[in-house]
Amino acid sequence: MIEIDVRLPLAHFTLNVRCSLSANVTALVGRSGSGKTSLVESIAGLRRARGRIIIDDIPLLDSDHGIDLPPERRSVGYVPQDAALFPHLRVAENIRFGGNDRERFDSLVAALELEPLLDRAPASLSGGEKQRVALARALMTQPRLLLLDEPLASIDQPLRERILLYLRRVRDLGIPMIYVTHQPFEALALSSWCVVLHDGSVAAEGPSRTVLADPAVAGSVENVFEVSDPHHDPDLGITRVTTSEGLTLVLPYEQVADARFPLVVRISADDIVVFGERPSSISSRNVFEGTVASLRSSEGIVDLTVMPGPLSVRITRAAAEDLRLVQGASIWLALRSRAFRIVG
Amino acid sequence: MPLSSQRHVRRVKLTLVPHILLFTLTIAAISTLCIAPVALALAAWSWRAGAKGMFVDAIAALPLVLPPTAVGFVLLEILSRRSPLGALLERIGIEVLFTPKAVVVACAVMSFPLMFTAFRVAIETSDRRYFDVARTLGASPVRAFARVTLPLAWRGLLSGILLAFCRALGEFGATILIAGNIPGRTQTLALAIYDRVQNGTEREAAVLVACVVGMAWVLVAISSVLIAQQRRRFAA
Repeated sequence: MIEIDVRLPLAHFTLNVRCSLSANVTALVGRSGSGKTSLVESIAGLRRARGRIIIDDIPLLDSDHGIDLPPERRSVGYVPQDAALFPHLRVAENIRFGGNDRERFDSLVAALELEPLLDRAPASLSGGEKQRVALARALMTQPRLLLLDEPLASIDQPLRERILLYLRRVRDLGIPMIYVTHQPFEALALSSWCVVLHDGSVAAEGPSRTVLADPAVAGSVENVFEVSDPHHDPDLGITRVTTSEGLTLVLPYEQVADARFPLVVRISADDIVVFGERPSSISSRNVFEGTVASLRSSEGIVDLTVMPGPLSVRITRAAAEDLRLVQGASIWLALRSRAFRIVG
Repeated sequence: MPLSSQRHVRRVKLTLVPHILLFTLTIAAISTLCIAPVALALAAWSWRAGAKGMFVDAIAALPLVLPPTAVGFVLLEILSRRSPLGALLERIGIEVLFTPKAVVVACAVMSFPLMFTAFRVAIETSDRRYFDVARTLGASPVRAFARVTLPLAWRGLLSGILLAFCRALGEFGATILIAGNIPGRTQTLALAIYDRVQNGTEREAAVLVACVVGMAWVLVAISSVLIAQQRRRFAA
């Protein structure tokens, strides 16, 4: 359990965040300049905030009792956006900077596939490789909490896919993570809990799928699935996969043929077509029956939450009225295979 | 004086040049070595202190902007028997004024601002994030500074050392006030040039000037290359 109640004056506003985090991975979402990085730097002890930060009953910061542990005594791993590998040290030395435990070093090198990089200089690494090394270096300290500041920013699609795979492996190690991002679908791909920051304050907090289904928070609404168990059919150009919720999806073969599974894919709520009854003949390979769990209408747009899933669907108000959609209505959904995007 | 005798005197005085050169280099090296740890510690403190460090920056830069004779006068007052420090030094049998020690003191004080400022800039440009990240990895401020900041800033630090060394080579105003101009005892290259010009032996002065220009040019050139490398390294 991580309790955060911090105040930190910044240039344009005062960071004022209060939240309790118990999820294994919490996404910290917000636009650029909303205070995300300042908050994680405060948790790492790199900024002198006031208030309380408590991890598993151990206070890192408690201004009322004069406690403000320096960064080296907080046991909080921090991976900055650009990895910040020490340029004068080789990869192996960078990783060992976090600790000298031989066994841990070997297991992290194996898990993050760093063996071929160990003798390289940081300047010769790609963005994704730097992130993996920084991740291993932070994990060498055996942190109580891992802070990741936009690890996928400025990384291209193929590399992003690999990094996300490694991040999922780290998530499975059981170390609590706070994952900073301004991309809602990245938050959905990794986290179960989400805190949305706006101008230094918590604008929304809750389960990621609920919070990020709100278009006012997420901007655009995305459906994110972790898929596995691929069955490729190159002749038909499709790959059948199963989502972690048990749905079977059909994806374009050429997009996922070389991907590593489990894979995270997304589809925009705008790319899902709603039918009042089962479509008899349709090119879309993903057709599901569902029930409208909730409707939210604003400015000519209707956002639906459909079960099973839950799936977020966005249609015009005209379409919703034409289909006479109400809560509990039974509908059919079509998801175009080619509308899916690979997150990683 | 017969012509042969004049030649003899000139040869004798020119043979003093290596001695003056060696004495000046030794004094400059000792003074540079003495101030390096102090300048480094103060520059590191000032860097970490942020706005509070500006006060220290201003004090450390003072000898750079004051007339060297003014600095010499202050040193003379501090080291004279009338002052508590001078009295204490006399009691424990340490004589400073008008000895080679005074030359070291004058050179150290006058070259300190150059070294401090160069150190400060070198540390500043080494990117504080690396220091911060090192601390999140469990390193104490001293260890993070020693293992991350210093190796990244070494070019700028070495450049500061070379600049301070050059400044010490040329120190004149403060030295003449607290060490005098005693040939064979406190006379440095700068003082010897002054001496030769006063005595009308410009040829000897020219030889000494050529020595000091040559040394300073090489050292300042190395320093400039190091600064440029440091800037390039962190510009990206």
